[in-house]
Amino acid sequence: MTDNSDNFASLMKQALAGDQRAYSELLQETSRLLRPFLAKRLSFTNEVDDLLQEILISIHKARHTYDGKRPYKPWVYAIARFRLQDHLRAHYADHLHHADDLSEIEETLQQDVTESAISYESISGEVEKLPEKQATILRMMHQEGYTAREIAERIGMNESAVKVAAHRAYKILRQKLEE
Amino acid sequence: MGNIDELIDKLARDGTAIKPALHPVLLSLEWIAAAVFYLAVALVVSGLRTDLIVKLHEPWFVAEIAVLAGIIIATSLSAALLSFPDLHQMRRVALAPAIAFALFALVMLFAWRADNPPSQPPIHSVECTLNITMLAILPAASIFFVMRKFASTHHYWSGGIAMLAAFSVGALWLRLYEQTDSIMHVIEWHYLPMILIGMLGMWLGKVLLKW
Repeated sequence: MTDNSDNFASLMKQALAGDQRAYSELLQETSRLLRPFLAKRLSFTNEVDDLLQEILISIHKARHTYDGKRPYKPWVYAIARFRLQDHLRAHYADHLHHADDLSEIEETLQQDVTESAISYESISGEVEKLPEKQATILRMMHQEGYTAREIAERIGMNESAVKVAAHRAYKILRQKLEE
Repeated sequence: MGNIDELIDKLARDGTAIKPALHPVLLSLEWIAAAVFYLAVALVVSGLRTDLIVKLHEPWFVAEIAVLAGIIIATSLSAALLSFPDLHQMRRVALAPAIAFALFALVMLFAWRADNPPSQPPIHSVECTLNITMLAILPAASIFFVMRKFASTHHYWSGGIAMLAAFSVGALWLRLYEQTDSIMHVIEWHYLPMILIGMLGMWLGKVLLKW
């Protein structure tokens, strides 16, 4: 199937008429359409999968609000954006709220890597064992000197997501260094 | 990916035939027709203001009534569009209440200037707000009830606009029933509370329109 709005609309029309095969194909294609959209905005693959599932369920619940007479993609992206915002609000706001104090942790690590015996180079082995996105963020932050905002722009995430990913990475590193 | 495939299988099995929702224009026409009927019943029960015929010869009163009716139409249409995740791809039409309210503010400004010397305000005050509220409860509840069957992605706006649609019905009723010429009174006790309640509707939208 081509990435064509008409095909989506036609599949949805068939799905609304009760064609389960067309509906399954539509959901498959929709998840292929939305995966890169979500991956660009979220840090972790499991987050993408979780949110994608939520969006598919929302599409299922809201399918009666699509009549097949207008383009499908704006409709589906409206739902995807809505769920993405919900997700970011609920999860990241919560994470940021409960985080010990992100800036404090960042400062601690910066002190560690600049002033003490621990340098970024000495822990770079540990950094490389982190999940790819976290390692990339720390490398850009501490080796290449980018700010969270610059990193967000370069790797296509939002700034909060970069900070949360960095925070998680610091936690892992701290645990490893304390062992 | 395995989970996604399983979920898709499950959803596809649940994907029985379903009737698409009513077009938002038709949905809003239903709401407007219901509002007209409700308003007529309310006026039959309460009675019309005794000086209505005279008032209908005053241009600013007629303009006020016409724009209030316009607000009912614009907010009903907007609420219907906001019930759809993509606003039925008629985003600009959903902004119609902004134009209606701008016109309304203009009409009220001219009506206030024309009310010179100012008419004596009635003795009562908050009773008007309470009357409007009592009358608007049923339309508000029914609009929210219908909207919950849809899938709004703009909870705040949907709730606010739905509440304004309901309260503008109440405000129109009171203007046709209550015999007062004081523009300051109607602004203070009819229309400002209506707008404030619209803001309360934003909160209600967040609570009631989750899906």
